[in-house]
Amino acid sequence: MIACLSIPGLELKAALRRTPSLGLRPAALAPEPQGEPLLGPVTAAAETAGVRPGMRLGEALATCPSLALVEPDAAGAELAWEEILRSLEDAGIAVEPASLGCAYFETRGVERLYGGLEPALRRALAAVGDEWDARIGAAGRRFAALAAASVARPGQTVVVADAELPQFLAPLPLTLLPLERGRYEELEALGVRKLGQLAGLPGGAVAERLGPDGRRAWSLARGGAAARVRGRRPPAAVAASLEFPEAIGNELTLRRALASLVDTALARPERRDRFVRKLALAARLTGGGSWRRTLTLREPSADPERIRVALAPRLAELPAPVLELRVELVELTEPMGHQLDLLAAMSSSAGAEDRTRLREGLRQVRASTGSGSVCTVVEVAPWSRIPEARALLVPKDE
Amino acid sequence: MVAHSRGSGSAGSQGRVAGRFNVPRAARVEAHADGTPLEVNHRRVALVREEWRVVDRWWTEEPVVRRYFELVLEDGENTVAFHDGAGGWYTQRGA
Repeated sequence: MIACLSIPGLELKAALRRTPSLGLRPAALAPEPQGEPLLGPVTAAAETAGVRPGMRLGEALATCPSLALVEPDAAGAELAWEEILRSLEDAGIAVEPASLGCAYFETRGVERLYGGLEPALRRALAAVGDEWDARIGAAGRRFAALAAASVARPGQTVVVADAELPQFLAPLPLTLLPLERGRYEELEALGVRKLGQLAGLPGGAVAERLGPDGRRAWSLARGGAAARVRGRRPPAAVAASLEFPEAIGNELTLRRALASLVDTALARPERRDRFVRKLALAARLTGGGSWRRTLTLREPSADPERIRVALAPRLAELPAPVLELRVELVELTEPMGHQLDLLAAMSSSAGAEDRTRLREGLRQVRASTGSGSVCTVVEVAPWSRIPEARALLVPKDE
Repeated sequence: MVAHSRGSGSAGSQGRVAGRFNVPRAARVEAHADGTPLEVNHRRVALVREEWRVVDRWWTEEPVVRRYFELVLEDGENTVAFHDGAGGWYTQRGA
């Protein structure tokens, strides 16, 4: 079976760890500094007062004037989520994180370890701990597991057998489906409000009316395709951080700090000569918030200059002065060789000897594999939007 | 460039026959519900770098409708995959 662990509002819960008393009052995660003024997750007290996640800030404050806004702590939430995933991995569960607060795992392996499905799911909840209000849904399909987790209460596990799947999914709301807002409205206008209603329609008609997105949603409403869960590779824990004596907003200073942090992180013995594929740049901000951006390099690298160039533009996105800057090497790869430039050497006058050798080499290839085995690439329509129409392979027989 | 022997670009004794370059290759792709690839040829996608659509030759009987993705796979390889709108997935160089 596939299990889905869900922690709704993880970002808010992580931010509330600094001020736990707010958890019992109407409070909501404040909008991102440079984004739309939409609220993040809200506390139960706020929900009782009529405030909903995703509500406009003005509307929310008009609805509940005593609403407290909690500064987002993106780095804190990611670290907390990482701790949760590691706890699960320590319990022998190979997790596949889907988003912050949602992860899937295959129960087959751990069922044997803990003596059955229910004990295994209980063990997973115990590994996460009580403070996060985690819940787990399990079913034969990934989407069904997500749906089961969405109806489970905090600390509860809901298991859906394959035979019960259609009846289980039928009364659930369409909002579980990954559709654009306009699509929900379109479906509601057609009188389709529940998964069961959508699943009952003919697939061809749904595809004709709503296109490929609708067809996929229809397939999910019927349980979705059987997709495997692949446990992640736990990220590397190589990091370097620098705490400033006072909040720094000057980009030049931050760039220098970044350069020093990249050098320090790359020099850490835990890196063991491996190359960096994915990095994170995190900051603790003045005022209590935090900020974090991840970056995947096009090619793995251990070149400090390249990594600095890749990370430096992110510093301009910092929303407030920084108290602490941190560089994390999130994913490391094995060292690999670099392809040397063959043609650059050939284009110079010193490449005459190389050209002769290459011609001789090609002659031998032609002799052993036959005519037509050596080709040149001839551009015929470099402006074409269809890649295979841009150039032809023309045999080079002399 | 050295082509595969007796490949598409092979020439007969009468003359040279050009082959197509950067031909799409059928790929096994698992995709998210929103159509973005999750796995390409059993290798997990680490990052979707870019996405674009190509709609061309719509005036012919063989229109080209493709949704391209530039991807970084978990083993570090960069690849470009596209969905042809008829259920087929392909990888392609030079896109």
